[in-house]
Amino acid sequence: MKRRSFLSWGAAGFVTLWSAVGVSLAAVVRFLTPSVFYEPPQAFKIGNPADFPFGPPTFLADEKIYVFRERDKGFAVASAVCTHLGCTVAYFPSDQKFHCPCHGSVFVSDGSVQHGPAPRGLEWFEVTLARDGQLNVDKEKVVPPAYRLMV
Amino acid sequence: MNVIRDVWQSIVRRDPLSTDKGKSELVFLNLWLHIHPAKVKKEHLKIKHTWYLGFITFFLFLILVTTGVALMCYYRPQSPQAYQDMKDLQFVVFLGRFLRNMHRWSAHGMVVCVFLHMCRVFYTGSYKKPRQFNWVVGVFLFLLTLGLSFTGYLLPWDQLAFWAITVGTNIGSYAPLVGKQLRELLLGGHSVGESALLRFYVLHVAVLPSAVILLTMVHFWRVRKDGGLSRPVWKLKQDQAEALVTIGVPGDAPALTVTTAAKDKTYGLMEVVTGKPIFETVTAEEEEDVVFSYPYAFFREAVALMATVTTIMALSLVWSAPLEELANPAKTPNPAKAPWYFLGLQELVSHSALLGGVVAPALMVLALMAVPYFDTNPSRRPADRKWAIRVFTIFVAINIVLIIVGTFFRGPGWALVPPWVHIVAGAE
Repeated sequence: MKRRSFLSWGAAGFVTLWSAVGVSLAAVVRFLTPSVFYEPPQAFKIGNPADFPFGPPTFLADEKIYVFRERDKGFAVASAVCTHLGCTVAYFPSDQKFHCPCHGSVFVSDGSVQHGPAPRGLEWFEVTLARDGQLNVDKEKVVPPAYRLMV
Repeated sequence: MNVIRDVWQSIVRRDPLSTDKGKSELVFLNLWLHIHPAKVKKEHLKIKHTWYLGFITFFLFLILVTTGVALMCYYRPQSPQAYQDMKDLQFVVFLGRFLRNMHRWSAHGMVVCVFLHMCRVFYTGSYKKPRQFNWVVGVFLFLLTLGLSFTGYLLPWDQLAFWAITVGTNIGSYAPLVGKQLRELLLGGHSVGESALLRFYVLHVAVLPSAVILLTMVHFWRVRKDGGLSRPVWKLKQDQAEALVTIGVPGDAPALTVTTAAKDKTYGLMEVVTGKPIFETVTAEEEEDVVFSYPYAFFREAVALMATVTTIMALSLVWSAPLEELANPAKTPNPAKAPWYFLGLQELVSHSALLGGVVAPALMVLALMAVPYFDTNPSRRPADRKWAIRVFTIFVAINIVLIIVGTFFRGPGWALVPPWVHIVAGAE
């Protein structure tokens, strides 16, 4: 075997071997990434507008959201998941703020951080009116805190 | 009777233990014992030298494997069966509660002992050349121990488990670039749910234990290959210290001489290689300081094993592993705390998620691994390494203080509280 062909075959073999290793590793990562999530849907209906009272927001435990309804502004839906480490925040009507039980982050009623380690304000989700007259919340669609749905 | 003796001989294949040859053969003809040297230095047997912490850690791991396999017979990694199985183990299964207690207390004990073992190795300077790499292996074993504790924490599927893991995996998601993906891979989803339970189970019973076993084998092997246990620091006299840190034969040592073998020799020398051995060598005058591993070392190890098992059993009779109510993703307990060995981390995270949760721990681990390569001072005597000892002590103290603050001084909303609040709350 000539030196030149030995080197080129060697290089080709080297590249092939390491490509195979790389592809296999990528395949392992892809394998571990679920293709189907058996999780609750991110868009869901929460009921008729009339179900929600005015005043302090309604907490929906399973969906981890707060539904605000204000008389002249309309509906808004805030996430109840703290942006710090994912604990569920609690709304206190007494001071109209969200308090996180884990590390004491405090969010004012528009969701922005007042103090504590939370890096961002609470997220607000798009709320729309479905054809059947129910409110529809889509957690995939984050909207600015000023977003309101008038019904 | 001869048959019985023949069968026994076919199994052990060694001379009687009353002879020196038998004592040696017991060690090097036995797969399980041959990781020991046939003879050990007397000074290595002293409790004060190692406190047997490495052994105790290993024995705790053995208890964990044994009780863990037993618990697997009654555990299903699904929700809500996992929690029901915990209740069964507590109230229905014969010895179920006892075995679960043993598993839990051994796990906590292992975290403590790995840490103390690391401290012992540091303070005796035993990570120094030629043992640098084994220190790094040890750091990996420490991380694996934490990983095993963390994955085990989720399995009971109670409130404590659920929120500890929620907080813990969210800390990980602050890692730059890969954090979010890593968390998704670990959880098999976007939040702590059934797929997370299954994945943590697989990690806990298969992946991580295998990794621990493999690395432990390397760790033990390297203890032997790096020259056995290091000499106790108090043995290092001023004039001896220099000689001991000089690895191998001095360069001006006389060349090997060849002598003709006696006619009745019963051994064969396979090969002579030149070059210095990488490990500390035993000089002729030290020869009298050694004893056979059997029975001296084995007896002490057996005592350490029995003391470990007895202690864990006693703890398990008196204190039960906690089990809170069924995991409820809608309701975060207040305060929601990670397992105690992560409470220092949680305390850091409560100040800054990225700095405290990712940067600081990553730097700590890297610093630990770099210790033997960074600290090139060859002396192992405390008087010669004041700064190394100061820095490490500060490192240990910071970690302990953070854990104590996180455990006892943090109440609802992670607000600072006096520690007795927990006693009062616990009594309610």
